[in-house]
Amino acid sequence: MNAFDQLLVLAAVTVLAGLFTGRQAWGGWLATLLYAGQLVLLSGMAAVGYDGASISSGLAISVPGFVLHWEMTPLSWFFALLTVGAGLLCSCYAAGEWGRRHAESHSLRLLRVTLALNVASMLLLVTSADLLGLFIGWELVSWASLLLMIQNGPAAVRAALRYLPYAMAGAMALLGAIALVYVHGGTLGFDGLRAQLAGMGTLELWTLLMLLFAGFAVKMAAVPFHLWQPQAYSEAPGAGAAFLGAISSRMGLFAMALVLVKLVGFEYLAGVSGPQAWVTPQDVMLLASAATVIIGAYVALRQDDARLLLAWSGISQGGYMMLGLFSGAPLALAGGLSHVFSYATYEAGLFMVVFAVIHRTGTADMNRLGGLVTRMPLSFLVLLMGIIGLAGLPPINGFVSKWMIYRGLLDEGMVFYFMVAVIGTLGSVLYCYKLIHNIFLGQLRLEHEAVREAPWSMTVPMLILGALMFATGYMPGIVLDWVTPVMAYLGVQPPEYTLGAIMTAGADLDMLWLVSFMLVGFGIGAVIFYSAGRAQRVHQLDNYAGGHFLTADTRYQYSYNFYPALNRLIGPLYRNSFQWLESGVLSLMNFISAGAQGIYRSVHPSLYLLAAVVLVSLFWGVA
Amino acid sequence: MHWQTVLFDVVVMPLVAFIVGLLLVLMMRRTRARLERRIGPPFFQPLYDILKLYAKEIQISHGFIHDLGIIMVVGGYITVEMFLPVPGMVGLAEKGDLIALVYLMMVPSLGMALGVGQCANPNGSIGISRALISMLGYDIPFVLVVVAAAAMYGTTSLPEIIAIQQQGGVGSWGIASMPVMALAGIITTHVMLAKEPFETYIAPAEIATGPMVEMGGKFMGGLFVVQTFQVYTAGVLFTTLFLGGGITWFDFLPKVFAVLFLPFAITILFPRYKAGEGLLWVWKWPTGIALLGLALIFTQR
Repeated sequence: MNAFDQLLVLAAVTVLAGLFTGRQAWGGWLATLLYAGQLVLLSGMAAVGYDGASISSGLAISVPGFVLHWEMTPLSWFFALLTVGAGLLCSCYAAGEWGRRHAESHSLRLLRVTLALNVASMLLLVTSADLLGLFIGWELVSWASLLLMIQNGPAAVRAALRYLPYAMAGAMALLGAIALVYVHGGTLGFDGLRAQLAGMGTLELWTLLMLLFAGFAVKMAAVPFHLWQPQAYSEAPGAGAAFLGAISSRMGLFAMALVLVKLVGFEYLAGVSGPQAWVTPQDVMLLASAATVIIGAYVALRQDDARLLLAWSGISQGGYMMLGLFSGAPLALAGGLSHVFSYATYEAGLFMVVFAVIHRTGTADMNRLGGLVTRMPLSFLVLLMGIIGLAGLPPINGFVSKWMIYRGLLDEGMVFYFMVAVIGTLGSVLYCYKLIHNIFLGQLRLEHEAVREAPWSMTVPMLILGALMFATGYMPGIVLDWVTPVMAYLGVQPPEYTLGAIMTAGADLDMLWLVSFMLVGFGIGAVIFYSAGRAQRVHQLDNYAGGHFLTADTRYQYSYNFYPALNRLIGPLYRNSFQWLESGVLSLMNFISAGAQGIYRSVHPSLYLLAAVVLVSLFWGVA
Repeated sequence: MHWQTVLFDVVVMPLVAFIVGLLLVLMMRRTRARLERRIGPPFFQPLYDILKLYAKEIQISHGFIHDLGIIMVVGGYITVEMFLPVPGMVGLAEKGDLIALVYLMMVPSLGMALGVGQCANPNGSIGISRALISMLGYDIPFVLVVVAAAAMYGTTSLPEIIAIQQQGGVGSWGIASMPVMALAGIITTHVMLAKEPFETYIAPAEIATGPMVEMGGKFMGGLFVVQTFQVYTAGVLFTTLFLGGGITWFDFLPKVFAVLFLPFAITILFPRYKAGEGLLWVWKWPTGIALLGLALIFTQR
């Protein structure tokens, strides 16, 4: 039994532990320990992650004509690391006071089991070594995340049920693609796929690639398959939402990297000319990514619920990763993969802070909050680091990964996509400031005077994430050490880098220098500031109001409709087109199913059954 | 590169930026005064203003983030100056490129926004909302200019961009090789510096409803310091991208002053846009011109 088998067993044990100790107060700490154990086993497989080796599992399942097996590759190791890391921190977050509060009205056992199920099924997915295993893992992950989404009352159920048709459609697209491959070549192994592509016609290739992309894009919540995600994630229980937001959707990116980049490769993505010769599958994928970046960012800007804002921002950030992946530029691909890590750290941190605020104040409505920085300074700190990462500014890791994407896109001459990335970033600066201003800055409300900092079981994982964000922004080489073996595995030339610097043909970036001197700059700023005499602290109501008086009765906090001038300008552009599209497709489906029901229910069902049986047996005979 | 050189550069570059920035602010105020038929402030007035504000007896702070905001604004710009190569000094410009610089320049804005936010004055928050919207406006043509420079010079490293123009002579300067882009660049500089008609969020008449509403003493002094860095950075960046930078300070500084004289001189002609109107104008004109310039560059190649 090798380390990989032990990891799978431990993941299963974590699920069982959740089932049997889910009601105990110490159950959460036990689960956290078990996740830590999984992390230790993963780091024991460092040869995979750092040196590009691979480990096969002893687990193998025979199906007629085929043996399913699982294998730990650098790509799987990278995503497994993120999955288990997110599981560990989210479990710690839920283990203490947050869990006790959650247990008052919900089932803590259900949460623990589903979290462990998510981690286990994602481990199975990322280590699958053939198309059938990929499909099984895919379904497991979909159902596990559905279970995690569905726990928080009617709104959560509604949101999760909205996810269901998307997940089903995505799975069917994937199944269709697998069937196409199987019909063509009679094998489901990864190795045979490339060989079969050579024999396919243009139409078949397009069908295959679009089915694969659509299937994976549903999980990534890429436009136009994005509508399910915001509600579903924000209604999930806090620890679960942080986990889902951080890593769950990135399974789509994993599958895109594995199947579309490694197995299919750019020679087909960029080489298949379309019905009109000027469009390639790569173009379609890049356009979808660009739409995801922009729509995600500018819809996030309009949210008043902090959880929804984060969920929409997650959609937009997924678009960046896809831009990096599909651009074909090695540097952008490195950026896209690094961004999976950067994003996981700050998105988990941000979700944790928002749920800590909900834990203390009972709301995530940004129009009902404000001024919490004086009450929850640690949460503020983590949120600040998180939004700096989300907006892609130095010194947090999001800056480095986005910089690689920008540079890669520029090197490839993809000016349009570069501009899309920048415009998305500007939008994210705006919504990030709205998030931090409306929750933590401005006036503190009377009812929040007595609010305290979140308990340590919640702040510790948040602070760990904050430290990770900073450390990997300071020393991007840490993450690139994991990303470059993945790139080698995907068959892409990795960029040159050191612990702090990334070298490119156009220009270098050295974060060790940049961040160090940024801190020096801040230090000089602080010296200048504090050498100029003591400032007197005043009460928040002690300020200038242009002739009006601010009193305890007439406080006001500027948060509603935060960017009015912008809303006036771009407001008419929000037309809910995708909502219309979604309801249109759903109505069509209802219509078809009603028609089909009418036929088989009212008219001679036995006759249709008989005809079906005859047809099937005829096919059987011919085959 | 020796570490002594780097150390010397990173100390001297922000200092030079501050001193030149003071002169630029003096030019700005004197130009305006002459056009309004006033004499204008004496030579040392910009410096006196800063010293006076720092020396104020009563300093009002609204909390730690208010302080931190000012530290981030000043510190952020000090960092920016270390990455902006000038004649004889490269500083850290080889450790981060033009794209990194664009994002570094957003750090002070974020600091300002945080500091104002903590003041808990709704008018301050309104000002920040307007300032950020304005940033969303001018950063788009600004980044188009950056893209054009990257495409034209084949690099985003500032020292290399200067070297290419220095070797090629005046004909290879950005203003000659991409004049349309230079036009977009100078308009963008005007908007970035928040000169009329784009000064919605810092107009003197709107002090009470802008980001500065709770700023006094050393807080305002910090912002005055930053103003010097701001005009300096804008002038140097335009000179670097379009006017070939400079070999010595004697051919470099005149260019910087000339670049900034234009916005300083014409600003008095304009009234003031509402926040959204200005944004629309920026998205229409400088952005449109920049797109045209970009199209020209790509058709030439």
